[in-house]
Amino acid sequence: MAGIKMQSYSTGDETAEEPPISETEESTASGAVDAREELLNECESIWSQMEECQSKITLKRAEPLTESDAEISLLMMRMKALTVEFSQWQIRSPELISTNPEVLLTLGKEELWKVKEDLEKVLLTAQLRNKKIKEDFHREEQWHDEQKKILNALKETEKKMEEDIESHCQRRAFHKLKDEFFKVKAYKEELLNALGAFLEEHFPLPEKDVTAKKKKIKNSEEPATQLIALHEILENLINTLFTTPHEPYITVDDSLWPPYVELLLRCGVALRHPEDPNRIRLEAFHQ
Amino acid sequence: AASRPYANEGPAPGGRARGGAGPERAPCRPQLVGADGSAQQRLAEAVLREPKEFKISIHLAASLPLPAERDHLRPRIDLIVFIIDIKSKYSLKNVEASLAHVDASFFLGKVCFLVTGVGRVNNCSIEMNAIWKLRDTYCSPVLLCELESEKIQATTAQRLLQMLQICAGHVPGVSALTFGSLMRSSADD
Repeated sequence: MAGIKMQSYSTGDETAEEPPISETEESTASGAVDAREELLNECESIWSQMEECQSKITLKRAEPLTESDAEISLLMMRMKALTVEFSQWQIRSPELISTNPEVLLTLGKEELWKVKEDLEKVLLTAQLRNKKIKEDFHREEQWHDEQKKILNALKETEKKMEEDIESHCQRRAFHKLKDEFFKVKAYKEELLNALGAFLEEHFPLPEKDVTAKKKKIKNSEEPATQLIALHEILENLINTLFTTPHEPYITVDDSLWPPYVELLLRCGVALRHPEDPNRIRLEAFHQ
Repeated sequence: AASRPYANEGPAPGGRARGGAGPERAPCRPQLVGADGSAQQRLAEAVLREPKEFKISIHLAASLPLPAERDHLRPRIDLIVFIIDIKSKYSLKNVEASLAHVDASFFLGKVCFLVTGVGRVNNCSIEMNAIWKLRDTYCSPVLLCELESEKIQATTAQRLLQMLQICAGHVPGVSALTFGSLMRSSADD
């Protein structure tokens, strides 16, 4: 029996809920041998209990989850299982593994060593995490600064643009007016041209050969004053009305062909002066 | 869908001083379920490469249910890992179909979802919402990994090993159920 080494061997099946047992390397003292036998006996009894439980479990039929109420039934199951486990933990009280001091000593050493290893790992992990968090923090700070700068630059651009807009608005109104003015002017030109063409076509001056004949027969007479077209008569009337509104009358002289004057008077386009029949003015259509 | 046992005859635990049919530690058995066979192989190999103190016997399957003819031979499964490839919608459907065949008691901490391919964001075909829905419905943890990278492969293997240890009951005082609850509460941060 002396000199046989045992490796660590732990049974921790959750169905049995028994504390772990470790067999460890021991010296060849006789007490050690007894301890070993003791532990082995305990192991055997626990193992047989486990086998019973296991056989009971395998006899249960498998029940797969249904799709429709999977979550609810699963949560209910979890709740039941957790309650059972909880009650088990409540009932359980720490049991002595063995009273043999050597076993206890070796066990204690092992536990402490494991705890030391675990704590060192945790320390390392925590330090690495801290480092990473610091780096992240620096990066976020930099990003924050950059965003602030961008924000300031944008604000300044906004201000400049507002100023631009104001002056731009005035200019735009001015340009609009100018455009309208040109449009109206062009329309006026069009109208006048159309009027002129219309008058030329439908109200021409009397034929010139009549005055030419007159000229040939009576050379001594004064040359007849040149008749002005209806178009020009109207022009004169309009200009007089608009340039001198207080004195809109023009004198009827030989340059105005009488039938046209009569036409204008009869149509109501021109009016006689109330006291002087030789003066006419344009009717004020715009008032 | 056939199941291939992928056993590793690791360092055997020391025999007991007495003869007879003493208890030998049964190997821990994870069952990997996923549509992509090569990814499963690589993961299984990575898990076996990790240093560990216990035997494990990894089972691979493309989908559940496992073929019925070997039911009586099948040993107890300790942990089921469902592998979902984020680039393939089919793998998600496969896993969802397989979930219907799992016994309800496994969901008390013995099921885990492993989502691979998260390194390539531009190739995602599956919405993360679907994954989170799975996690919430089945109350099981979700591990994200990228199997193309050696380092991440090794880390994922280590995490799976830890889970496996706990689910097989090797860690005294922590049951699969409590561990599952712990993982959930920390993942919700």
